[in-house]
Amino acid sequence: MDLLLQIIFGMLSALIIGAAMMVVTVRNVIHAALWLIATFFGVAALYLTLEAEFIAVVQVLVYVGAISILVLFAIMLTRSSEGERLLTKHWWAAALISLGLFGAVLLPTLIGHAWSIPLPVGPAGTPEPLAGVPELGRGFVNEFLIQFEVAGVLLTVALIGAIVIAFEERSRRRRVLTLSEEHILRQRQQATAAAEQVTVGAADAAD
Amino acid sequence: MQDVVNQVINTTFGWNWPSWSIALIGYLIVAAILFLIAPFQMLFLTLYERRAIARMQDRVGPNRVGPEGMWQPLADGVKIFTKEDIVPDAADHWVHFIAPCVVVAPTMFMFAVIPWGPGMVPVDMNVGLLFFFAISSVSAVGLMMAGWASSNKFALIGAMRAVAQMVSYEIPAVLSLLALVLITGSLSVVDLIRYQDGLIISSADLASVPHWGLGWFIFTPVGFLAFVAFFIAALAEGERTPFDIPEADSEIVAGYMTEYSGMKFGLFYLAQYVLNFLLCAITAIIFFGGWQGPGVSWLYEMAITPANPQGGWVFNVLAGVLGVFYFMAKTYFFFFVMVWIRGAFARLRIDQLMDFGWKFLIPLSLVNVISAAIWVALTTWGATDGLAFVEGWSPLVRWAAAFVVTLAINVGAYLYLARIFAQSQAERERMDDEVLESLVNVV
Repeated sequence: MDLLLQIIFGMLSALIIGAAMMVVTVRNVIHAALWLIATFFGVAALYLTLEAEFIAVVQVLVYVGAISILVLFAIMLTRSSEGERLLTKHWWAAALISLGLFGAVLLPTLIGHAWSIPLPVGPAGTPEPLAGVPELGRGFVNEFLIQFEVAGVLLTVALIGAIVIAFEERSRRRRVLTLSEEHILRQRQQATAAAEQVTVGAADAAD
Repeated sequence: MQDVVNQVINTTFGWNWPSWSIALIGYLIVAAILFLIAPFQMLFLTLYERRAIARMQDRVGPNRVGPEGMWQPLADGVKIFTKEDIVPDAADHWVHFIAPCVVVAPTMFMFAVIPWGPGMVPVDMNVGLLFFFAISSVSAVGLMMAGWASSNKFALIGAMRAVAQMVSYEIPAVLSLLALVLITGSLSVVDLIRYQDGLIISSADLASVPHWGLGWFIFTPVGFLAFVAFFIAALAEGERTPFDIPEADSEIVAGYMTEYSGMKFGLFYLAQYVLNFLLCAITAIIFFGGWQGPGVSWLYEMAITPANPQGGWVFNVLAGVLGVFYFMAKTYFFFFVMVWIRGAFARLRIDQLMDFGWKFLIPLSLVNVISAAIWVALTTWGATDGLAFVEGWSPLVRWAAAFVVTLAINVGAYLYLARIFAQSQAERERMDDEVLESLVNVV
């Protein structure tokens, strides 16, 4: 079982790292977004190998099913996706900052971490579930109630804001008529035109 | 499956293969069986739908190829395979190529958690229900890829419509499931079916009820409202009429499938029918007890199970056959209902679809979650949970009280929301008329 898991882990990491590399190197923004989705999916599969099923499923539901769709919508609706590679003149500053952050934060952790090779043998028997659904739910309504509520209020505010923006847009926009409505409109126009003809005719006759 | 493979390889042949290879072989066999089942289901369902809809429209339908047109799907398959594969010059070739696979793969994944009979589930995940819906949302990415890569206006509009519809109808579907998850207290599909044992009343609510396998959720007010909301959402998710605007032939050719031909088109078709089959199956599982029915649990008690290794293998076969029969009968009935609705209703407009989803179904399923919580409180809570006054009631009285209270809440919510929704629609129509009037008067 261990060998199989090792192989699966290796394949998944290759997928995740490869896809993440593609995200930052491809020219087309849509392609980058699609590679990002592949990365999300790989991370979800990695959670599955850790037996954190709920986290894996939520990763797929939230990141692949919702956030990536939002990203795709945003890219498609806002700008043309084809274009030059956007390289500012101050790219060296960005490189310096990211190198500095890497050196200051990640490097000490990587060096200071006690890598347990070979793998230590854990206690026998099935370990306690770390992130099962009941544990997470209980955590949300007991221990992390404030954070949970704040996040909920924040999302509600965002939702209300979106509705307000949509209503303002709608009041400015003229409604597009459907085919049947255009047909009704034409009928009514003809009817009024005919009625005018009749009244004009009647006025002529009176003269 | 794995214990059978283990028995054959290590005991009968005595090869002593390691456990991981046994697991791999077991899963591979199950996956192969499922991959065979899915296309055959699709072949059968296309014929079933065409014949049924033909009968409703006073036609005969395909009846030339074989007895009663039985080989018609095979003929269609051969035709689709031999068609030329055309890719538009302006298309993004790779994305255009991968999109059908991204649409089909999730539907195959979803088979992993579907229980076919007692003890016949490929993987019993403890978050199976959530897995089903999480994976189904992945195909939205595939639709988006197909629509964008075709570089065709119709395809892009179709993809946008499909994704908007899927995203907004996922919410009432998941909310109506949340109500039932509250009651069962588990996200596992197997537990959900086990809960629906009994006779009209679930035997988990009332221990003395006989195990007739009829304690389906549909018989409770919470389950009934959830079923209505869920089935409407399932129609929208499976892009069935009256929610087939993403591929409305008379408006946008074929939606996201416009630029696909040959087997790639066939894959979209396959994905759609397999998805419809799965949605019917999950409806049968969640609200109508899946394989539960009179006799199944009685047979399964005498079969070889981890709990009862001394059983007879004949009962395994009998329980399996009866369970699969009940399950398939329910599933095909729901597919028939889908065809029936297609024969009876016209297509909705996109604004009507969005209005109905957001302003009617979502509030209704939110109310249903509250009544599910009341149901749980009245049937299972005691003094330790802060509900001392129900402690003295007998289980039957508690069940009846929960039934009456949730029924009152759900019917009240339905009537109130239906009135508000009708008012808002009437108001909207009045405003539309005003726009028309002003246009007429200007001319």
